[in-house]
Amino acid sequence: MVTWEFPPRIVGGIARHCSGLSQALAKENHEVHIVTLDFPGTPLFEDLEGVKVHRVRTEIGHPNFLTWTFLFNHFMEKQVATLDRDVGFDVIHIHDWLTAPAGITSKHYLNKPLVLTVHSTEIGRAQGLHNPDSSLIDGIEWWMAYESKKVIVTSNSMKWELHNHFRLPMEKIKVIPNAIDVTKYWKEVNRESVRLRFGISPHEKLVLFIGRLVPQKGVEYLISAIPLIVQHHKEAKFVITGEGWSKSYLENLAALTGYGDRIRFAGFISDFDLVDLTLSADVLAIPSIYEPFGIVALEGMAANVPVVAVNAGGLAEIVEHDRTGVLVYPKSPESLAWGVNKVLSDHGYSQWLIQNAKRKVQEVYSWQAVAKETVKVYEEASNR
Amino acid sequence: MGLRGFSMPDEIYFLCMLHNIGATSSDNSLTLEEIIRWTTLEPDKVRENLQKLMETDYVQRVNRSGVERYHVTVNGIRKVLSMYS
Repeated sequence: MVTWEFPPRIVGGIARHCSGLSQALAKENHEVHIVTLDFPGTPLFEDLEGVKVHRVRTEIGHPNFLTWTFLFNHFMEKQVATLDRDVGFDVIHIHDWLTAPAGITSKHYLNKPLVLTVHSTEIGRAQGLHNPDSSLIDGIEWWMAYESKKVIVTSNSMKWELHNHFRLPMEKIKVIPNAIDVTKYWKEVNRESVRLRFGISPHEKLVLFIGRLVPQKGVEYLISAIPLIVQHHKEAKFVITGEGWSKSYLENLAALTGYGDRIRFAGFISDFDLVDLTLSADVLAIPSIYEPFGIVALEGMAANVPVVAVNAGGLAEIVEHDRTGVLVYPKSPESLAWGVNKVLSDHGYSQWLIQNAKRKVQEVYSWQAVAKETVKVYEEASNR
Repeated sequence: MGLRGFSMPDEIYFLCMLHNIGATSSDNSLTLEEIIRWTTLEPDKVRENLQKLMETDYVQRVNRSGVERYHVTVNGIRKVLSMYS
């Protein structure tokens, strides 16, 4: 498996996906090797419960992002080639365009089937192709989909996106939803103590956002919804976790609402603390404008937090409106505020959503199920 | 909404360049002169960006053999990666 992010190098959902999938594959006695990029403080090789992680050091760099990407792909290719002499891989599995050059080259010189998981597309992330770099990334995405024997996506929404945008044949695409480790949420936390760490008093309501602070996550719509929520719930406070290049813009926007004292930007939070915080929240808001899957919705569902998400992309396939969560209109602060207010106002309704959501996430979204389906794809890809 | 027209702050773009060059640990830290050469930015602009990034804990200054060098911190790496994923 070739991926540019793997814990503790966690950026978005890809690291968590590769970690969950690789561990589940190893538990089924498959030999799994991860080739990824190095990260300060982590060893270049480690065996994580059977998953062999090889971290590659990029020996030379360049200020330009795309040039750097092609450089680190070269070092990944070198690692795959070296390992293959001893291991003899059956399948090469890449995740998104960032490791496409390494995957495609390895496929050709090792004569091994290439499987690709597309977690998102450039045209979706950037909401269009606005510059030459975006157009090149879009081209690489078409190229990797063409070169791959099988393409995995995490939602039907993404399947249609690939079919419509790249004219990829439907039969080449397999939908395997994401999953989470629900056992992470089987713990008792001292909610009062956790909330106090984030400045939330016992009588206050905690509205939580988890995600990268980039335009596609739609945090600006949540911030715009805050006055409409506080109007009905004067005890509401908002914790926005995550890092991203639009952080300073969002902090300014938050100050302009006049409710800056109720909004806390908590920055990057470790997985351990994030579980505690999620378990201590009153509502999880997901205002994304582009979300091919939305693993964060599963995390909320597993953590007994009512989820209010936009009716878009993969989120609409995970959250069933009025049963496992509340779906609201995308890009609409009014609709988002309506959803949050509905959950905060009715404790019985909120508990009903929580119970239904918890059952669904345990039954449907397990890594064991994902691993079994992924192995079937590997087998199909290996039939020449 | 407003963010569509919001451009990336200069210092964050500069942080990305430092990251992509490979200045991501003390061992791979760079001197001011090396950073100026790689980024082709004016020395004053490089100093200004480094100052801002050190204040936000995205860049760290280290002193090796009497020479000041700079590298991106773990927080800085996460900041950069959040833009690319």
